[in-house]
Amino acid sequence: MSTFLLLLGAGLARGAVFALFALALVLIWRATRIANFAQGAMSVSAAYVAYLVLMGTGSFPLAILTVLLAGAAIGFAMERALMRHVPSRSPLNSIIVAIGVVMVLTGVLGILFGADYKPVAVPFSRQPLEIGDVAIVSPYTLFVFVVVAVVVAGIALLFTKTSLGLAMRASAFDDEVARLNGVRVARMRTLGWVLSASVGGLAVLLAVPTELGLSPHSGDLLFVNAFTVAIIGGLDSPVGAVISGLFVGLLLTFVTTAWGATIGPIAVLVLLVVVLLVRPQGVFSLRKARLA
Amino acid sequence: MTQPHARATTVSAIALAAACALVLSSCSTPSPEAPQPGVTEDTITIGTHQPLTGAAAASYAPISAATSAYFDYVNDQGGINGRTIEYIVKDDGYNPATTQTVVRELVLENEVFAILGGLGTPTHSAVLDFLTDNEVPDLFVSSGSAAWNQPEKYPLTFGFQTDYVTEGMVLGQYIADEFPGKKVCLFGQDDEFGTDVQAGLELVLGEDGLTEVQTYSVSNQDVVAQIVALQSAGCEVNVLATITGFTAIAIGTAAQLKYFPQWVSSSSGADYPSLAGYLGEAAPLLLEGFVSDNYLPSASEEDNEWIALFRQINDEYNDGAPFTGNTVYGMAMGYLFAEALAQAGEDPTRESLLEAIRSGKVEGSGLVPVGLSDENHNGYIGAGITVVSNGVQAAIGKSWVRDGDKVVVFDGDPVKMPAKGIPG
Repeated sequence: MSTFLLLLGAGLARGAVFALFALALVLIWRATRIANFAQGAMSVSAAYVAYLVLMGTGSFPLAILTVLLAGAAIGFAMERALMRHVPSRSPLNSIIVAIGVVMVLTGVLGILFGADYKPVAVPFSRQPLEIGDVAIVSPYTLFVFVVVAVVVAGIALLFTKTSLGLAMRASAFDDEVARLNGVRVARMRTLGWVLSASVGGLAVLLAVPTELGLSPHSGDLLFVNAFTVAIIGGLDSPVGAVISGLFVGLLLTFVTTAWGATIGPIAVLVLLVVVLLVRPQGVFSLRKARLA
Repeated sequence: MTQPHARATTVSAIALAAACALVLSSCSTPSPEAPQPGVTEDTITIGTHQPLTGAAAASYAPISAATSAYFDYVNDQGGINGRTIEYIVKDDGYNPATTQTVVRELVLENEVFAILGGLGTPTHSAVLDFLTDNEVPDLFVSSGSAAWNQPEKYPLTFGFQTDYVTEGMVLGQYIADEFPGKKVCLFGQDDEFGTDVQAGLELVLGEDGLTEVQTYSVSNQDVVAQIVALQSAGCEVNVLATITGFTAIAIGTAAQLKYFPQWVSSSSGADYPSLAGYLGEAAPLLLEGFVSDNYLPSASEEDNEWIALFRQINDEYNDGAPFTGNTVYGMAMGYLFAEALAQAGEDPTRESLLEAIRSGKVEGSGLVPVGLSDENHNGYIGAGITVVSNGVQAAIGKSWVRDGDKVVVFDGDPVKMPAKGIPG
């Protein structure tokens, strides 16, 4: 029982980080109809800035604030300097530009910080809390849950309850109509990138303490897993990103325990293929992907 | 009347004969200074492929820097037989396709004398045939795969490390002697590294000697699931066939679960200074009593003559980079090459270099000798046991060498260092 609960906690914690990162992908998709292949490298860059602050001040809350701001700045720069000028005739254009950005950012991070892993310490114990003799979940895992919940709730509020959210949705749905209705579409797109890069950076910062440490490649696998999660959930569904993120985290953990580490990613792949065959738009997507 | 194709055959036969005659005449008067690729009056140029960028660079980029530093030191002392060693390091990003490109450049454009310490099983496998076909000595491959030890198929290829099966056998023997009756388990990488160590352990401990086997994949740095499985199987002695980062993750994760088994690690992931870098402040506590095998002296040993020299070279020629097992590994490999080159004679040729290596006279700088010969292209033939005590990882004087499907106690001394650490 203890083992099961521990694995449940570990799987959900991993899934929560996937969910957060997938949410970043969903945000950009909703705002611009671009699948951002540079998400990993951008987020890792933001995490490096936070790492510098963490080393300088020793304050984890300050590092979280930094990663949000740095992510926002990187997202802003990325959209204004680059993505805005990429012709949108084919979705391939932005993908190719994004992959170029990945190479440049990874290279620059390697030059600035070296290729080795920088351990990131957190102010929360990762030792599981025990109720009676049953170990359940660690304070750090709880902290990750709380952060993810706050972000998800904030984004849900933004999109459903504010006029800004409405404007963002409108400009993504049909930019011409939105423009005619007075929405500043270009500004909404920039905002989408800013939000998304902030959330992505936060996901990397939360994932790194449970892994080897921060390196220029810390975002690579997170991106692959989160991209899968976003596709399974439906690229335009924040709720889908969260639920399928948690589910994929659990799936990976339990399959790894039962059949070994090699089978874990295969199970996720099988899930992805099944979803693409049965419901290509993703499990939680309400209508067909709007390619306006 | 002669058929056209028959005439063609006749012509080509004549051409062939003429070509043979040319070759024979050039062979009949061998010039004493037959030009050797990469060798001039005062230099020897060799090359290697290493991951200097990409995900594998974090672990392995320091190795070639250390080898280069050792060669700089040797060159400042006058080189080997009056020639300085130039070591060209090319980045392959741990990508076999890139390895093929850079090794072709080294051989065809830079015309290197030999390839030294090409790093990685998948990467180096991609150039084995090319090097064999081009008759380039392929020395001391940085990997414990048994693939390098095929003298008939790859006569010019030689390994460096003790192979993983032997490492598993040495660890198994130590466990059988020191921890009898305990539940032994394995946490291994999900490739040849893990399966070879497992095979070695089972040779010594028996087919059912392992209570539980868990694996990890390099692409997933979350190992809670596997550690929980080991814990619930009641494992008391856990063997690790893990690269350094995953050794740290396994021990750290277990500690968070309040699980403190005896850890016994293969040399590849057992370097104390590197592990301490990952584990941070908790390292001295978590690593006390940590057992591993090693064929080279450990970086944290203070009173070893090799370590003292390597540390000095690292300070002077490597900008005082962190001194870890990677540094020792890189310099030990440089030393082994220098030793072979010194024995290859005043005017080394590729053949005389290979002859020196096969002669069994190169010894290396390890706890056990290298056993290179005509039949064995493996490198180090066994390993010693090291234990961490008070933050120092040191050999405890127990070592074994492989003898078929057994390991036998090696009672010789570690290899002595020549004056100044320069062979000759």
